[in-house]
Amino acid sequence: MNGRKFLSEALLALFGTVVALYVLFPIFWLILASFKSSGELAQLPVSFWPSEPTLVAYTDLFVSSSQSSQLLNWPQLIANSFIVAVSSTVLVLFFGGIAGYAFARLSFPGRDLILGGLLISRMFQGAALLLPTYRLMNAIGLQDSLLGLILLYSAFGLPFATWIIASGLREIPVELEESAMIDGANRLQSMVMIVLPLATPALITAAMWHFVGAWSEFAFASILIESNASKTVTIGLASFVDYFSLEFNRVGAAASIVAMPILVIFFFGQRYFTRGLLQGAVKG
Amino acid sequence: MKLRSDHWLAYGMILPVVAAVLAFVVGPTYDVTTLSFTRFIMGQDRGFGGLVNFEALASDPQFATVLTNTGIWILGGTVLCVLLGMTVAVYLARDSKLTTFLRAIILLPWILPDVVTAMAWKWMLHGQVGIIGQTVTDLGLTERTISFLGDPDLVMWMLVAVVVWRKMPLVALILCAAIRSVPQEHYEAARLDGANSWQQFRFVVLPHISFSLTAVTVISMIWITAEFTLPWVMTGGGPANSSQIMATYIYQQSFQFFNWGVGSAMSVVNLVVLVMIVSLYLYVVRRSWRSGAAK
Repeated sequence: MNGRKFLSEALLALFGTVVALYVLFPIFWLILASFKSSGELAQLPVSFWPSEPTLVAYTDLFVSSSQSSQLLNWPQLIANSFIVAVSSTVLVLFFGGIAGYAFARLSFPGRDLILGGLLISRMFQGAALLLPTYRLMNAIGLQDSLLGLILLYSAFGLPFATWIIASGLREIPVELEESAMIDGANRLQSMVMIVLPLATPALITAAMWHFVGAWSEFAFASILIESNASKTVTIGLASFVDYFSLEFNRVGAAASIVAMPILVIFFFGQRYFTRGLLQGAVKG
Repeated sequence: MKLRSDHWLAYGMILPVVAAVLAFVVGPTYDVTTLSFTRFIMGQDRGFGGLVNFEALASDPQFATVLTNTGIWILGGTVLCVLLGMTVAVYLARDSKLTTFLRAIILLPWILPDVVTAMAWKWMLHGQVGIIGQTVTDLGLTERTISFLGDPDLVMWMLVAVVVWRKMPLVALILCAAIRSVPQEHYEAARLDGANSWQQFRFVVLPHISFSLTAVTVISMIWITAEFTLPWVMTGGGPANSSQIMATYIYQQSFQFFNWGVGSAMSVVNLVVLVMIVSLYLYVVRRSWRSGAAK
């Protein structure tokens, strides 16, 4: 290897290392903070490794006897977030699966226009809808309830899930179904026996995307939920503001807990995740 | 056209999804538009008020700041996202152990809940005990630690930097996939013609990925326009409203000041901006939708 080639390889490796640090460091730093004591966090200069690693930040969140009154009940928050994310994922898979089948297999007037319109509606789910959603939920009596969040997140997530499932179904040869129907199966039987097993990867992709979105949602939860009993993990995390630097070990611990299910899905389901991404992220 | 029973079956199957979107997206959009033309006195609905809310919005001294900040937020964020994303994509498109590893982990910032991202960066940018301020001081660049999020001149750019960290990875990955789809023969032909690396990028890669590049640019704009949680949790629009953007202003007016008139007027302005960007998006991708959606 000549000198010039070696230099350019070294520069490229350096660039790659910088990118890796840039991506990973904030996450790493957050996790490190969760193992420091609050005294250490207030010291200058900033220490890198925890001088005396401790789990006190985690026990503060979970063991009620050591809880100060300003801390929320984290086991409850986690349970609430799971209830909301899992229930809305089930709803989205069920209704998105049925609709996805129709978009993929049946032809009807306006099909492509309706699917396109559904996808575009996703792009408007932002801050502009906060106020009217608050009014709507109050009007139907679902403010401050987990059921309200479940319905809202399902409605927001359905278009994308429908689209992922429809794209997955289009890859399954229609002949498989036709031959089953020739053998005497009706449409429902062929759906359940033939299509459902083959559509599993698309369903997993849709489920993962929806779970991640529902688990992470903050804006709408923060305007709809008032009582501590119905708060979700993202609201709990955002509520650390008053003594931010003094209790950052708790913030770090809480943030690590909030990130945990997402990281698990990311590392174990990467295959499905990227699949959905390349298919659909560009559609908004 | 006569509808067959098959059609009714299909409409029945898609009904729940369509109804959900009508109830939770289309309905609220209509509601907030009506609200913006309603006169509110002491929080009471006093009927049609014409443009009073828009006049109140325009005469709010904060309005100009909000518009400038939103411009920095959307345009600054998009440009930096695409430039950095492109640079990283060119690197990621190469084959090596490091790039394989990076392609696997680079989406982490993108998938992390935005409240977590906000907290992580708020901590790193902390004015007294933040690692970034400490590093800058250690390198001898400043005498005292900079209060990154407390300085009205800096804060907006800090928010842009964080949203770039969050959104850049997907831009890089999409562009990387586009670059890797350039056929090898094209490179070889260019090399035979004596093109150097820059010329290969400019005349072989760039024309090949131009569609992905345009599409991903407009999509970044939509992502960044939609992002609310990151600026809200990091600064809440502060200090002294110096990082207030449309999304945070809507929240502040509607849910902290209970000023529904101005809140809804700003929501409508926000929707108009979104409609413009989405139209641009549809124009850019018109070919792929026409052929792609139906297949």
